[in-house]
Amino acid sequence: MLAAALLLSALSPAAAEWKPTRPVEFVVHNGPGSGNDVFARALVQVIEQEKLMPVRMQVVNKVGGGSTTAAAYVTEKTGDPNVIAVFVNIWLTDPLVQQAATSKLLDMTPIALVQIEPALVVTRADSPYRSLADFVEAAKQKPGQLKQAGGSITSRENVVRQLLMNHSGARWSFISFPGGGERLAALLGGHVDLMILDPSEAREQVRSGKLRVLAQVAETRLPDFQDVPTLKDAGFDVPDVPQIRGLVGPPNMPADALAFYAELFRKTTRTARWQDYLKDNQFQDAFKSPEDTRKFLADFQDRLRGLLTAAGVKVVR
Amino acid sequence: MEAVSGLLHGFAVALTPANILWCFVGCFLGTVVGILPGLGPAATIAMLLPLTYNMNPAGGIIMLSGIYYGAKYGGSTTSILLNMPGESSSVVTCLDGYQMARNGRAGAALGIAAIASFIAGTFGVVALSFVAPPIATFALSFSSPEYFALMCLGLSLVVLLAGTSLLKALLAMLLGLWLASIGTDLFTAQARFTFGQASLLGGVEFMLVAIGVFAIAEVLSSIEGGEETQMLPVPKGLRNLLPNMEELKACRFAFLNGSITGFLLGVLPGAGATIASFISYGIEKAVSRHPEKFGTGAPEGVAAPEGANNADTGGALVPLLTLGIPGGSSTAILLSALILWGVRPGSLMMQDNPDVFWGLVASMYLGNVILLLLNLPLVPLFAQILRVPAYILYPGILGISVVGAYSASGRLFDIGLLAGFGLLGWLMGKLKYPAAPLILGFVLGGAMERALRQSLTMSQGDVGVFLSRPISAGMLALAALLLLTPLLGAVNRWRMRAVTQNG
Repeated sequence: MLAAALLLSALSPAAAEWKPTRPVEFVVHNGPGSGNDVFARALVQVIEQEKLMPVRMQVVNKVGGGSTTAAAYVTEKTGDPNVIAVFVNIWLTDPLVQQAATSKLLDMTPIALVQIEPALVVTRADSPYRSLADFVEAAKQKPGQLKQAGGSITSRENVVRQLLMNHSGARWSFISFPGGGERLAALLGGHVDLMILDPSEAREQVRSGKLRVLAQVAETRLPDFQDVPTLKDAGFDVPDVPQIRGLVGPPNMPADALAFYAELFRKTTRTARWQDYLKDNQFQDAFKSPEDTRKFLADFQDRLRGLLTAAGVKVVR
Repeated sequence: MEAVSGLLHGFAVALTPANILWCFVGCFLGTVVGILPGLGPAATIAMLLPLTYNMNPAGGIIMLSGIYYGAKYGGSTTSILLNMPGESSSVVTCLDGYQMARNGRAGAALGIAAIASFIAGTFGVVALSFVAPPIATFALSFSSPEYFALMCLGLSLVVLLAGTSLLKALLAMLLGLWLASIGTDLFTAQARFTFGQASLLGGVEFMLVAIGVFAIAEVLSSIEGGEETQMLPVPKGLRNLLPNMEELKACRFAFLNGSITGFLLGVLPGAGATIASFISYGIEKAVSRHPEKFGTGAPEGVAAPEGANNADTGGALVPLLTLGIPGGSSTAILLSALILWGVRPGSLMMQDNPDVFWGLVASMYLGNVILLLLNLPLVPLFAQILRVPAYILYPGILGISVVGAYSASGRLFDIGLLAGFGLLGWLMGKLKYPAAPLILGFVLGGAMERALRQSLTMSQGDVGVFLSRPISAGMLALAALLLLTPLLGAVNRWRMRAVTQNG
């Protein structure tokens, strides 16, 4: 019965042409002005400029507990075709490390993986480290005395540090700062030695001669940093840890709605406007279909579980 | 002088009709946003950002910055009139501002807040124009041990915020410190005191605590006291609605203190306007000849924190514009706005984009004048709010608080928290526990704990790091001295009693 109904709906042309008829809620897990909020608003802007959507898209900030408030909100909306959300790495890691975070990304309906965000390993321009190998060698000489500034212990910065330490046998400490500004100030003030930074944040500091880029955390070299080695090129053959950003719908989102959104974002991310946005921010286009996104996420979640455990984080699921 | 020619160039940019208009629009929006609790400048700037994509960068940043510093002017209005802080940096203003309103000096308090904001705001811009690069270097020399010492100094102000009982004040502060530790620990990713509630993983939002223990608690105790019959006095006549010479004279030092404290703490990326407002209030009370008047409606108690939170904006723009380092959420959005327009803040900005840099700085002189002209005439008007009968006013306060709490996070859980903190504040009031130390502990607790753990990780567990660094050691010594003052007073009283008994 059900299978027949599904088959019918898949075949019926009316179903394939599902379109939202009321404003769509676009959930973001942190506040206005944050990276994810800017990302969501940039997508909405391109969609509006290119007139790809018959209704308005309203960015809604559901803030609290990393991704947990937003994830719980999306999970509550089971089957609703008018709600979508931005996901990033912490949508996977929060449920892995927090007992109370029960809304899992893979229980929802992944719509698309949109981009992968590379990062740069930087040090102060007047530091003695000319390459990542220099830094690692110095860290070996003085175990635990060199410092890296970063955010939470579950962040990619710490995972990359852990991988580099396991690979080389060197040890250095990780100092958590809540804000990017404080981290950068600690590095520029000479209170820490190393930091992993977004290319868009690092670019100006490099140009004004304050920071030196030692390596890039990316699969292939960024267009603006062609002469900077990737971790692998720098002699550290560690697994790639991508920072991902994509879109997800509530659990059991109707298939026709899923098809609509997948197509909407495929079109949106193919526009020249969106490609300019990617280039301006040095992001890498990583568009994937719903099935491929789900497969990628399942895989990535397993890898993150292993990486976090290795990084000394208590994994609960 | 480079700064003078830069400023002249900046005024040429800022005084074009279009940019004057943008400056006015920004300041006006900022005032409105400041008055409404919940809606903060960061959210407003983010929402307006898409509208500025096609604007000239100078005009755009002039408008968006106007929202940022304009909100600091407006934040005091509801603190004074309703005991409801409009922005987190205006929480301290409640302490004396609301008491002034209860004494029939609401207009005077609003006027002093506007004048202090103007003086300190302008001081901040002057300092930004002339000493930005050297002061930015100074800010970078602050490391985690210095931040820890600064937070300790801030916490030792509890001695000054205590009412009759130091013990009760310390207990309230401990409660604040505990509340600040709720949520996911940054260093270990472990949940602390969340009781299995996913909603608590992100910690407790500061504005919920502040609005709860001040505004909601005030409404509750007013209802209990049956105050609806006795409305707050609003004097008639324009003269009585503005500060008199005596009050302005009392604030002379507060204007200076607020300006300097606000600017210096604004420059530090890990401090911010809320901490600056608390510290300037503490300094004001510490040096005052009549500290007992604080908390009962001392005009200096309004002038110092309102000055500090406005001088803070000038300070916060120093690391943003000269180093590309944002110190808080509002400056982080201004940074992303600048990057969006292709302007890259940093040490080269003054040369590469003089129009934007100096245009913005010059527009802030203008903006402070606009804000003063915008806010002073509104004083008599706002003071009339107190004429609204209690059966409209109190539900109104509750309504605005609930909407504010919900709009900030979009979740019902926060409204429950707000109610809980309202009850807590009411209970504390009944048991004569002061609310200010709780807020102080909450504001400083998170930053202090982080700075402590960062310092100890950096020094590999050596506590000596706090004493071997001169700035940190100096601030810790000052904090210890402050904490010992009441003890000295007790020793003195005991000695006096002994002397009189023997004699």
